[in-house]
Amino acid sequence: MNRSLVILFGALALGAAIFAGSYFTARQTTMVCCTKPADSLSWLRTEFHLSDADMARVRELHEGYLPKCGEICTKIAAKKSELAAALGSGTNITAEAQVKMNELAALRAQCQAQMLQHFIAVSQAMPPAQGQRYLAEMKRLTLGTNEEMEQSMSGETDHEHHH
Amino acid sequence: MKENQQLPGDPQVSALLREARVSPPSLPPRFQQNVWRRIEDAEAPAKSESWLDALANLILRPRFALAAAAVMLLAGVSAGTMEGRQMARNDAQMNYLASVAPQFVR
Repeated sequence: MNRSLVILFGALALGAAIFAGSYFTARQTTMVCCTKPADSLSWLRTEFHLSDADMARVRELHEGYLPKCGEICTKIAAKKSELAAALGSGTNITAEAQVKMNELAALRAQCQAQMLQHFIAVSQAMPPAQGQRYLAEMKRLTLGTNEEMEQSMSGETDHEHHH
Repeated sequence: MKENQQLPGDPQVSALLREARVSPPSLPPRFQQNVWRRIEDAEAPAKSESWLDALANLILRPRFALAAAAVMLLAGVSAGTMEGRQMARNDAQMNYLASVAPQFVR
């Protein structure tokens, strides 16, 4: 093989190895340094540049919200068990199962409304610009997740429902 | 002493001198022709090398190799740091979201 080609490929391989080695080392080091798993609110402080006073208000709201969220989640879990029992191993959706599904949907809607109410309260505890950004981000993360699936199932794509 | 001294015109001395004369070294075959060829080669313009050879020669220069290695190292560290920050940020965001939003709304 041509000597110059060997040198060129050797240099390329060495360069790629140096880049990859430094890339993965730096990425891992940064992740270890920047991750603070102990506090779930640390993201709010860094992302929205909150002061200690802002964080104290947000933390108070957060700690007040968690028991309410836990309570409704317990109700949802219980309702899901009821629905599973009502569906049983049958192949038809019974009237009882339909009622349980409606109740489950209502609980989920209640949970979602409570969550959005909490996001609004937290956004108001922040400086106005950061609060708006926080609320928009939370809506995107919690309400936008099903949009892709819904759009794919709607008439905007080639998929059609045949009724 | 006088008996041992010999005159410059002494035939015995002349014979010895002739014998002692070093014969010229034998030259390799086509010596002169080769000398001229090497002189012509040295005076001729340098043979042009291909771009690949030029690049290989450049890579082998220590200063270029060190500079290229430093650039690759810096690029790797910069890209890795940015990616690591983004991943840590995403992890923290998901950690917060998991604490406030049930699984079915995420």
